[in-house]
Formats: sequence, structure tokens, C-alpha cells
Amino acid sequence: MVSKKLIVNNASGLHARPAGVLAQAAGKCSSDVKIYVGERKIEAKSILNIMAAAIKKGTEIEIQCIGPDEEKDMDKLVELIESGLGE
Amino acid sequence: MINVDVEKTASRGIAAGPAYKYQETDLSPDTYLSEETAEEIKKFEDSRDQVIHELEHLAEKHEIFAAHLEMAGDFMLQEGVVSKIQSGQYNAQQSVHTTIEEIAAIFAGMDDAYMKERSADIADVGKRIMAKLKGVRLPDLGGLDHEAIVVAKDLYPSDTVKIDPAYVKGIITEEGGITSHVSIMAKSMNIPTLVGVKGIMEQIQDDTVVCMDARAGKIVIDPDESTWQEYTRKNQEYLQERARLEKLRNQPAVTKGGKRVSLCANIGNLEDLKHALVMNIDGVGLFRSEFLYMENDHFPTEEEQYKVYKEAATLCPSEVTIRTLDIGGDKKLPYFQFDVEENPFLGWRAIRISLDMKDMFKEQLRAILRASAYGHVRIMFPMIISPSELQEAKGLVEECKAELSEEGHAFDPNIETGMMMETPASVMLAEEFAKEADFFSIGTNDLTQYLLSVDRGNKKIAKRYDSFHPAVLKAIKQIIDAGHKENIKVGMCGEMAGDAKAVSILAKMGLDEFSMSAGSIDYARELILQAE
Repeated sequence: MVSKKLIVNNASGLHARPAGVLAQAAGKCSSDVKIYVGERKIEAKSILNIMAAAIKKGTEIEIQCIGPDEEKDMDKLVELIESGLGE
Repeated sequence: MINVDVEKTASRGIAAGPAYKYQETDLSPDTYLSEETAEEIKKFEDSRDQVIHELEHLAEKHEIFAAHLEMAGDFMLQEGVVSKIQSGQYNAQQSVHTTIEEIAAIFAGMDDAYMKERSADIADVGKRIMAKLKGVRLPDLGGLDHEAIVVAKDLYPSDTVKIDPAYVKGIITEEGGITSHVSIMAKSMNIPTLVGVKGIMEQIQDDTVVCMDARAGKIVIDPDESTWQEYTRKNQEYLQERARLEKLRNQPAVTKGGKRVSLCANIGNLEDLKHALVMNIDGVGLFRSEFLYMENDHFPTEEEQYKVYKEAATLCPSEVTIRTLDIGGDKKLPYFQFDVEENPFLGWRAIRISLDMKDMFKEQLRAILRASAYGHVRIMFPMIISPSELQEAKGLVEECKAELSEEGHAFDPNIETGMMMETPASVMLAEEFAKEADFFSIGTNDLTQYLLSVDRGNKKIAKRYDSFHPAVLKAIKQIIDAGHKENIKVGMCGEMAGDAKAVSILAKMGLDEFSMSAGSIDYARELILQAE
């Protein structure tokens, strides 16, 4: 298992569009991907689950990947989030 | 026979005919007991896959369905439904129904207005899956095959895109105001529409005969013979008037006195532009860019804006005047927190926001400039009160031009930059502004409210809101004269430009450009042709 903490930098948080980009990318990972926001656990492959968490700009999130390609998947997702999820 | 009076009217026109009640089919889950869980899961997955297939087609036409597509294929939905079926307590229909309700409730409970509205999207996806499971068809305006007056609780963009004006002769809705989506759409398609008619769904059945007069705000249900005759006669007159006006469309807008003026459209999106182009317009006098911002879930990026502006510039053979973001006052954004202000119309709005949020402003200016390579694009700044604001905005345009040149992007180097004339300060300083601006456009709605100190939303003083007040007329004349002294064109893009009583007065004052919503253009052309 690998995990990493990040700050969400999108101006309006993880609303529909960036949530969609993230869910799609997580869906392509072979790892099991979870996002933790405080106590809350989010299934990263679900756009609904991500949107329902209403993650605002400046929130700290923790990404967790479990699987044979966990390192590679983690790097990919971290890079995507840091680049603003297509925004 | 029942008479209904409607307070708010959104368009003109008369219609009479059978009602088509646009309402939900029963999508409540059947209560059969599920025996084979694997079979129930398969039923769900098959229905869902059919819906995904449908949505893939719809998503090519409308972006909203791309979001629905994502939701239909979502993991959370799949998990929720499958686990409920596996529990043995629910059949496939009940599982979908319950799961969708659970997810929609999460969104509906959020503080954020944008997120709240997403619960409707999820419910929409749920309806599609339920209809497949139950083997029923969802109501579909696109399937209408005879002339009718559509009666609905409310119509959403996903409904109105399917409206065919050949069959939909009138629209009556229970919800909605005159600035709602339905009204704006109906205006641009020239369909007689009445909104906010409470209780109408209960009073009307399918095929009930209905007469409506959208201008007078009257509906007659089950008319007696003489009323029916009266409305069919009025409807004939209306259709003749439409036919007469449509014949005038190929005539250029020249007054009797021989002055050629520009007859332009106010648009909010590309759909509006397409409707307006049919009317042989001389250009777009006002492209309200705020719709790109308001009907969105984030500040639109440069690329997103560029695509829309470029398409407008390409579609329209003549000028397209893009007004930079005009929010604040009564216009808010779902994804941006505005402070509560005591006097929002005198507050942080329009150019004041743009000049304070330069990065956002520059994204818009860059998008407009890049689009200017594809047609005749003009930039217009709203709510200017000081020459220094205009200079600062123009400075930013130059900054963007320099950046774009360096990056190798094409744009029109001589793009015109003009301003809205809608503040008393801009009237007082019109001569100075005329030296700086390439054109003026008079915004009569705000100008009237500011000059007369009359809040246009306040019903108690509605009678005092008068664009024909001598102070307003004098201001308009001063603006036109100041512009002409410096040889710049002066237009008007407020409601007044299409007003039957105003057109000849304005033409006489020397107004160069009349810009209005598409629904008023045919009428204004006739008035201009008759003006001295």
C-alpha cells in the first residue's frame, strides 16, 4: 500500500468536471484507489462518491493505492491532481 | 369555459388548439418478489447499458448528457444497486429506485447551490433506467406529431432542445419566470408562451381545447363557440402579421428618410445566434458572455470561451459584439461566493470585478482576441464610470495582444473596443469617452434605473421606471451627439431598442444601431422602414 497527502487547488474544488477526470483516471488504474478526507473514505473510481464529498479548494486529501502497480498508479494520479485535473 | 388571467407574460402571439400534457409517466417500482438475484442483476445491467448507449448519442449533441453518461456508468450506483439485490430484499426496480433516491438525497442536502442541482441530474439518470426496467417510454416532446399547445409543470433544457416549432404552437408552464430558460428559448423561437401559471396542470387534460393570448396574458380552457371563433380569428391575424413581417426580412433596415441603420441581435448563446441569423440581422450588438459563466460549474477557461466565441464569429457574417463579464447586481455565479452587499446594483459588479480579478479577465480577453481571427469581433466593456477604467481595460487588451503575438496566436490587431453607456457618469463624460472608445452602446435598462434612481425590480415603483422620462431621452440624445462628434457609431442594446414607441424617436435622434432579442427584430424592422 502507498499513500500520499495532497492539497486540492482547483478554484471551485472537486466539482463535476475535475471529479469526472479523477474518477476516469482512477478507473484506469489496476490498483484499488481510495481517497481519505478527514474521517471520510471515498471510492476514487466513482464520480458520484467524489462529488458527494464536496471537496473544496484548499482541502487536504490523502490518496491510497493498493495493488501490484500501486507506485505507478500513485505517481499518475498525483501528477494529474497537481496539474489541476484538466482545468 | 374557464378564463385564466396570467400576470407575467414572456412573449407575444396567439395560439389555439388541443393541449398536450407533458408529464411524468408512472415510474414507481413494481413490487414483484425477486427470486433469482443473478437474473435481477442482469436486468439492471442490461437496462443500464441501454441507457448508456442512449446517452452516448445524446452526449454528442449536448454537454449536459456527458455528465449523465458518467453517472449512469458510475461505480457507486452499480455497488448500491447490486448490494441491494444481493440482500434479497429488493427486486431490480426497487433497488434502482432506492439507490437513486439515496444518492440524490446526498446531493440535495449540500449547501452548495451547484451541487444541490446535481440531484436533479441523478434523478434524471434514474428515470431513464427505471423506464427501461419497466418497459415504458419516457414522455418525449420530440415525438409530438400533431399541432398542440404544450402544458407542463416546467420545461428543462433537455426538453426544450426537442421542441419542433412546426408542432408546438404554444407553451404554458406552472413554474418559471419571464427570465427563465423556457421564456428566453420561447422568445427566440417565436412560440407564444405563458409561464408561472399555477394549477394549470390540474385544469387541463390531454386534448382539452385551449386558447391563449401570450401578449395579453389570457388563457381560455374549453372555449365556447364564439370565443373559439375570436381566437382563431386573432390567431389568423397573428399568423398574417408574422407572414407580412417575414416578407420584409430581405429588406435592409433603411428609414423613410434614407438613413441605413444596423438591426442587430442580443444573444446569450449560440442557439440564440442561430435563431437570430434567420432574421437577416446586421450583426450581434450584444453577446452577453455571462451566460457562459452562469450556466457553468466553474469559471470557464480560455479554451472553453474561445471555442464558443470562435463559433459565433464564424457563424455570423457580420459584427459580433462581445460584452465582457457582467455579473454582480442580480446576477450571481453558482461556484463563486459573493459578499452580501447593501446595494448590489451600486456594488461590486461588471467591469469592477473584471479589473479586480485580472487573471480571470485576461482569460476572457485572450479568448475573445483569438476568436477575432475568424470574423468581425468587437469587445465591449460594461458599467464604465471613469476614463481611467476604460484605459486600464484597453491596456489589458494590449497586454493580451502582445502575449498572443509572442505565442504565435492569430487575432485581429485592429479589434474595436467600445463601452456600454449605462451610468450617469458615462453620460456626463460622454465627449471624453468618445475620444477613447471605438463605439458606444446604450444600455437603457440600467441607464433608466440609475438616472431616475428607480429600482427596476421594485413593484411598488414600477410605474416610475420609465425609459421615456425626459431625463433619459435627453441623456440618450447627448450620448448620440457626443459619439457622432468623434465619428463613432452609437448603438442601443436595451429593451427600448425594440420598443414600438421608441424606434422612430431613436431613429430621429440619429441612433446608428438597434440591438434587441431575436423575437423583436421582425417587428423593429417594420418600424424602422416606417420611421421618418
